[in-house]
Amino acid sequence: MALSTTVSQRKMIKRKAPRGFLKRVFKRQKPHLRLETSGDLLVRFCPFFGEWGRKVHLNCLLFVHRLAEESRMNAYEAKCGVIKKEHVQAAAKVILKKSRG
Amino acid sequence: MAEAMADSYSQDSEPTTRTLLRRVLDTADTRTPQRRRSARIGAQKSLLETPSSRRLSISTKTNARQRSQRARSIGRLAHVQISGHLEEQTPRTLLKNILLTAPESSIMMPESVVKPVLTPQVVQSSRQESSQSSLELQLPELEPPTTLALGPVAPGRRKRRLRLSVFQQGIDQGLPLSQEPHGNASASSLTSSLNLTFATPLQPQSVKRPGLARRPPTHRAVDVGAFLQDLRDTSLALASPGNSLRTPVATLPTDTVLEDTQPFSQPLVGHSPSVHHSLPHLFYTEAKDAEKAVGHRTQSTGPRLQNHSPGKPAQLLATKAKNFTMSFTNTIRAISGKDEVEPLQGGVSEEAEESMEVNLSVSKVKDTTGTQGSVRTEKSERHTEMTEAVEAKEPEGSSDEDISGRTASPELVSSTTEFLQARQLPFLESAPPPNTAILSSEQLEPLPTRLPPRARTLGPRPHQDPHKTGLNHYVKLFSFYARMPMEKAALEMVEKCLDKYFQHLCDDLEVFSTHAGRKTVRPEDLELLMRRQGLVNDQVSLHVLVERHLPLEYRQLLIPCAFSGNSVFPAQ
Repeated sequence: MALSTTVSQRKMIKRKAPRGFLKRVFKRQKPHLRLETSGDLLVRFCPFFGEWGRKVHLNCLLFVHRLAEESRMNAYEAKCGVIKKEHVQAAAKVILKKSRG
Repeated sequence: MAEAMADSYSQDSEPTTRTLLRRVLDTADTRTPQRRRSARIGAQKSLLETPSSRRLSISTKTNARQRSQRARSIGRLAHVQISGHLEEQTPRTLLKNILLTAPESSIMMPESVVKPVLTPQVVQSSRQESSQSSLELQLPELEPPTTLALGPVAPGRRKRRLRLSVFQQGIDQGLPLSQEPHGNASASSLTSSLNLTFATPLQPQSVKRPGLARRPPTHRAVDVGAFLQDLRDTSLALASPGNSLRTPVATLPTDTVLEDTQPFSQPLVGHSPSVHHSLPHLFYTEAKDAEKAVGHRTQSTGPRLQNHSPGKPAQLLATKAKNFTMSFTNTIRAISGKDEVEPLQGGVSEEAEESMEVNLSVSKVKDTTGTQGSVRTEKSERHTEMTEAVEAKEPEGSSDEDISGRTASPELVSSTTEFLQARQLPFLESAPPPNTAILSSEQLEPLPTRLPPRARTLGPRPHQDPHKTGLNHYVKLFSFYARMPMEKAALEMVEKCLDKYFQHLCDDLEVFSTHAGRKTVRPEDLELLMRRQGLVNDQVSLHVLVERHLPLEYRQLLIPCAFSGNSVFPAQ
């Protein structure tokens, strides 16, 4: 898939430490909470800790994806060639509500 | 005969190519013709002898033959010089023949065949000869020799240039085209230099340094001037943040520098973009300080505050001059929309209250922030000014005043927090500079002033930087998914949304893990989250999503696959 390949390039090359980032985010929010389950997986090749990080990343990806789609729809409806703040804002409201769980 | 003529000719006229050649030939001919003559004579003699042996048979004929042969021999002798040469076909012979026979004008052709050693002399001689022959003037005859001296270096290029120039000037002057074929036909620089003689005197100058002649000197002057001006502006603009970074207290010189830049640079509006870049640097220093002061209390408002904090205190630092601040805000307003203001106005009151808590907590840090606080107090005034300047920010202004009134004791520190909240709305408009601050944040890591590093957890500074960079990564992904051009303000919005999302995410994960009676978050929690989010249905399974969105390397790590030896990776 072209999408995934480009994304993977970005990941491999540009990504500083996505899981590090995610873990940091989590620690920031919930310092009392632990995160990973590295015990299960073979540690040798895992650059990060367990499936957890990847799944979180997947979650974020999907969220961003949905957000982008929604804002793009808004922009279309407003017949704008450019995505503007308002579009993004409205989309964010909807999507955040959706991802409440 | 011809030689005699040549000798006389040479004596009379200046050394021309022809004369030189003749001399050479003569000196050489003295030897060879004798040999040849002797050989020929010998041959003829033998020929004569052989018929003479037959005299008895045909006396008359032999006599006649002898005579004829003698005549022929004489003729041959006369011709030996030529015919012998012809038969031998040496360059010398050829030259001599041509000299004898060919007209002067066509000397150039054979001369090209001559050894290049002769060329310099030949050039001069030919030139002079041609000068004599042609009525046109040849002023700088010395120059072509110099060019010839340099010729072997790059004869090809010069030839083309010369030819072109000659052609052009020839056209201009209406030179006969016959001369050009001469030059074109020749393959040596010699002929090209010869062509010079037919050209105008301007030509040699260009020939001297053809490259320079082509370049228009004026063109560079203009560029350099503009470039210097740009350099000045950029250097001045860059110098100011450098100064401000090192001595945040001593903002006066920076301001003076900033003010000085104004007359040099274009109008303030035009200059503001450059200063925008300088300001973000300042933003960031103050942002870090503010973060350190506030960082440990990173609650829900934390990210919001921190998002906005970079803008506010730094702005305060930078914009001491009233005019500058006013213009800055105006430009900021002009750049960004005002939409961000509205939704955040509602949140201002909440944030004001929270800021109070933050202020109290931050009071501990006030010692270290003393110096900066003093600066910030000054800026608080400016802030108030700015708030006044900001029209639709009345509630903010009230909140500012309230905050300033309450936090009397931790004055210094509170000022920072005041700015944090007070500046939230207007600094939302200054989203672009914080954006640039964020982008340039990595560069400024080592520079900001040292604040108490007693961060509660990891420290606000590392918190902010990689946080921002990580967020930026997702923002880029967003723009990629959107496939449409986006405004910078929209990207800011996306950042905020991502922050909120992360908060929600962590909360949910915590809830799930505690519900499962665990203290660590496991992938199962994430799966549950995704299901609850509606991402994973009965129709769409997790693996499908993984395959869709993640690259291959991650996919094989997430989706269990069966391998040889009855093993499954990753292990279930």
